[in-house]
Amino acid sequence: MHFLKVERLCKSFGGLMAIHNLDFEIEEGEIVGLIGPNGSGKTTTLNLITGFLKPDSGTITFRGEDITGLPRCRACQKGIARTFQLTKSFLNFTALQNVMVGRVYGREPTGNLRVAAEESRASLQRVGLLDKAEALAKDLTLMERKRLELARALAAKPRLLLLDELMAGLNPGEAEEAMQLIKQIRDSGITILVVEHIVKAILGLSDRIIVLDYGEKIAEGLPEEIVHNPRVIEVYLGKAHA
Amino acid sequence: MGRKQVIFIALLIAILVLLPVVVKKDNIINLALLVLLYICLASSWNILGGYTGQTNLGHAAFFGLGALSTRFLWMSGWSLLPSVLAGGLLAVAFALLIGIPAFRLRGVYFAIGTLALAQILYITVGNVFSDISSLRPQDLATYQLVPRYYFFLVLALLITGTTYLLVNSKLGLGMMAVREEEEAAESLGVSALKHKLLALSISAFFAGLSGGAFAYYHVGYYPRFPFSPEWTFDSMMMVYIGGAGTIIGPIIGALFFVVVRELLALKLVELHLIVFGILFILVVLFLPGGFVEAWKKMQAAFARRSKERGVKVSFQTTDD
Ligand SMILES: Nc1ncnc2c1ncn2[C@@H]1O[C@H](COP(=O)(O)OP(=O)(O)OP(=O)(O)O)[C@@H](O)[C@H]1O
Ligand SMILES: [Mg+2]
Repeated sequence: MHFLKVERLCKSFGGLMAIHNLDFEIEEGEIVGLIGPNGSGKTTTLNLITGFLKPDSGTITFRGEDITGLPRCRACQKGIARTFQLTKSFLNFTALQNVMVGRVYGREPTGNLRVAAEESRASLQRVGLLDKAEALAKDLTLMERKRLELARALAAKPRLLLLDELMAGLNPGEAEEAMQLIKQIRDSGITILVVEHIVKAILGLSDRIIVLDYGEKIAEGLPEEIVHNPRVIEVYLGKAHA
Repeated sequence: MGRKQVIFIALLIAILVLLPVVVKKDNIINLALLVLLYICLASSWNILGGYTGQTNLGHAAFFGLGALSTRFLWMSGWSLLPSVLAGGLLAVAFALLIGIPAFRLRGVYFAIGTLALAQILYITVGNVFSDISSLRPQDLATYQLVPRYYFFLVLALLITGTTYLLVNSKLGLGMMAVREEEEAAESLGVSALKHKLLALSISAFFAGLSGGAFAYYHVGYYPRFPFSPEWTFDSMMMVYIGGAGTIIGPIIGALFFVVVRELLALKLVELHLIVFGILFILVVLFLPGGFVEAWKKMQAAFARRSKERGVKVSFQTTDD
């Protein structure tokens, strides 16, 4: 049994085929990279897995259970948490309250707000944001908000974590830090699917990489295989370099 | 809650409880009763509109249904409390009936949809029950304002207290998360629909009870009167002027509204409507948090200033 299995997934918007016959698997404990040019369908894939979009056809199986087209609040309850490419913070909440939503709902819901607050502080600490616990989300910088989203997703105790361009806009030093953090998260037992534009970051991070182009999988393999794959080079650098 | 706040609230409640004992004038008690009535309506609107972020323009329907059924049951021989409770439950039933389709609409469409439903009810009730509804002679003979006042006081405390407990609970956190950013809330396992329906039901229940209290209070009115959209718009304005999504906001808003309306007292030209309309627009445009926010900002500015002064003083002392 695969941890996550996506089979013959299709999704179109009007005439546009955003995802076409997509197949892939993720095994427990992996960090899988999902890359591809702008508009190749990476975010759409995450939206389909988390129920934010309903596929036209195909199935998504998570830990042996068919989760295709479940209401979007159910994915997190089953252990799939995500971050958003464009951050979606609860702006008038404090950072701590933002994270508490993940802890109080999430995979192990609780009505005990005091305990939830304690554990949420631990999540904030994990992403290095504890000193901003009482700051309002709207007063945080964009980079801080990205970390906040990560803390919030972690507080939901996911089994599978989907990260949508978490590192976009970071400088090389910050990106390196983020990569270490993502590896630590994996080592704590969470399987991760990372969407990233920065090829360099994803090569250093991923155990395995899936490449999309126009909604289709054009390559899949180890990072060193991917960098030498002619089709990938063609897509990323244009035909001349292939 | 801090110690100071607890004392303040206890004091406020004591004043409200003692008011009819100390002030024996009916017109003052009546005015205080109206403030309480508006606190009930505004606070109940606030649960869905302020805390959950869903602008319901059909609130009067719940108030009206509560009034209609309470009046009917009570006058046909039920005792008062079960009649009022039934009114609240009828409002909830109606809320659930309209809630599921209405919440398919978002933002301004939800507002328009709820307004349309409430208007349909308003017109229908006006057509079906066109005769004025008056208390029975035996009720009129024994009519007293004070028990009505206390009825509204208990209801206002019940609504405010419940709101306080709700917004400090898990469900309150979920409701506010839905208001802040619905998609993020759902990505963390919050069912937006469930929380909206819950907030709507609680909001409708309290509006229904308020309608029941109105039916108990009012001597004679056309049955469609409590369905009138002005109840909705007045409540909404009070909430925004006072501070949406706060406990105290609707209370301040209601007090302000009734007092200013009384001061203007030019009911013939409905001058207060113009005044509140303009005030409402100004608040929405320039002071999104209402009076509560303005007060907080003033406090913050004051704290900053005294801090700056404190720094100066310490400089002087080191100079010495
Ligand atoms: N809700 C939507 N409605 C219509 N078209 C959409 C929608 N979401 C995505 N698309 C289109 O589907 C295609 C895939 O978009 P998607 O956001 O998945 O790309 P992406 O790989 O995440 O790109 P980027 O790297 O820019 O984030 C694009 O052409 C996009 O315009
Ligand atoms: Mg994207």
